[in-house]
Amino acid sequence: MTDAIRTENLRKQFGQFEALKDLNLTIEPGVCVGYLGPNGAGKTTTIKILTSLLRPTGGKAFLNGIDVVRNPKEALAGVGAVVETPQLYPQLTPVEILSYLGQLRGLDSNVIRERSVAVLEEVKMSDSAHKRTGEFSTGMKQRVAIAQALLHDPSILILDEPTIGLDPRGMIEVRELIKQLKERDFTIFMSSHLLNEVQEVCDKVAIVDKGTLLVYDTVANLSTVSESRVSLTAVEPITAEQCASVRALPNVRSVKRVDTSELLINVEGGLQEQSDLLDQIKHVGIRVAFYRPAGSAIEDIYLRLVPEEEY
Amino acid sequence: MPPRDLRQITVVTKYELLKYLRGRRLLIIIALIAVISVLGLVVPLITGSGYDPNPQTFTSGILSEVGILVVLCATFFGADAIVSEFEQKTGLLLFPNAVKRHVLVLGKFIASAMVSVGAVALYYAITTIAVVVIDGSIAANTSLSFLYALAYLFGILAVAYFFSAILRSSVYSTVLTFFTFFLILPIIDRVGSSIAHFKPWFSITFASGIVLDILQQPYPVDVVRTAERTFRNTTRTLTVAQYYPSVAQGLAVIFVYFIIGLILALFITKRREM
Repeated sequence: MTDAIRTENLRKQFGQFEALKDLNLTIEPGVCVGYLGPNGAGKTTTIKILTSLLRPTGGKAFLNGIDVVRNPKEALAGVGAVVETPQLYPQLTPVEILSYLGQLRGLDSNVIRERSVAVLEEVKMSDSAHKRTGEFSTGMKQRVAIAQALLHDPSILILDEPTIGLDPRGMIEVRELIKQLKERDFTIFMSSHLLNEVQEVCDKVAIVDKGTLLVYDTVANLSTVSESRVSLTAVEPITAEQCASVRALPNVRSVKRVDTSELLINVEGGLQEQSDLLDQIKHVGIRVAFYRPAGSAIEDIYLRLVPEEEY
Repeated sequence: MPPRDLRQITVVTKYELLKYLRGRRLLIIIALIAVISVLGLVVPLITGSGYDPNPQTFTSGILSEVGILVVLCATFFGADAIVSEFEQKTGLLLFPNAVKRHVLVLGKFIASAMVSVGAVALYYAITTIAVVVIDGSIAANTSLSFLYALAYLFGILAVAYFFSAILRSSVYSTVLTFFTFFLILPIIDRVGSSIAHFKPWFSITFASGIVLDILQQPYPVDVVRTAERTFRNTTRTLTVAQYYPSVAQGLAVIFVYFIIGLILALFITKRREM
């Protein structure tokens, strides 16, 4: 089966700055991949090359097996994309914008009409379907942008920070929408700086920094190899002896006292190890009020792989 | 599969026209045409000079502002057509589609040309009707003048698209387009003719002289007069020159601007990154 997205030694240089260094990434069809990295890591550059907005300095990029640089028209035929926060034509309404892009993509007018209603409904923009977009907020524009990406039912969806500009409700709705799309066998390549969002939505994670791919694996695998962090809040103050006893328990990598009755514990392993630790903490004599994860596995991996940037 | 390029060009043209029809610029141009036409008809009455009995001269007088109208059309409908997609980030919506960049440029250019042709046609229609009503006859070669005006329009519209493709700001592109054709090239034309005494045949604004020259009977030819003048015991030879483009030369120069402007606009837009 042809890979949905493939990059081979993809390079991009802006003057002296190397935005991408020999990026090799292969995404199988039907997988939802979160593309993580700090600002300037090369996320948007990768997405812009894949969507023919930038030309690579070297290497190749393929969508459904078609070279994006050589045949952008054919390569982008099965792709829906939202890159950054695109602006809309203020003279046109969402329905007209969808009709414009639908006709460019070769959709029949009846199909455009039906799909426009459906996708505007999906992004909760039906009420503003016939209003000119000039006065739309950033969030409304982002919703229309997502709608146009879905219009032609593409096999690949490329989303660059899809929840940026949305209010909390909007972010939740877009996450739910992406989850629904996953079930419909879309290949989703989504950049984000929201680690929890990626962990919640994606099957696989690719972390890039300074133009280099650091890790690319399933969320499940990354969670297993990762050490997790739990926050423990006791009913009574935790004594120094109790704290030392917790530190000595199996799988405990470190313990940090947050305040008199709260500890932050780094645990090696996954859910099973966390559960075992809770039992052992009770035997130490600590009466546990709350015991909950602090930070995600992806967050741990990310913080370990991506060094702190000095500005 | 996405449709053929030609089909996509018609789609782009259709929606660009819709944007122009809903924008303010078209209204401004129409208002301007109304003002120019009314002034051309009312001023002779107010000043008491009356209308010229010669339809050729009368038509030429009313149409004297066609050059500025064409420049304004190119500025309003061409100067920011490409650059705005990059500057205002609407290109982020349009470019990641299965459509070639040259298709987008051609579709936009056709829309710009159509709306501009409409504006120039309106100006000529008002003029022609006024001349027929007032003089009872139409000036010979008015239709040729109209065709040459359209040729001039396409020529500078293509250059406006080139500016729009190469510059990073809509304001720069708009200002450069307007001042190139309204100020810079006309100054070169005048300096060339009056001071340096060379024929600025290479200038599109000089070439655009054919638009009004064709209304003159007979078609004007270059006039170079020399005279000796003595001032404070020094005798100097003064040269006074009036140059006119021939129709063939004018059309050829306009065509070259059109072809080069459009090809450069297509090439640069294709290579331009967002």
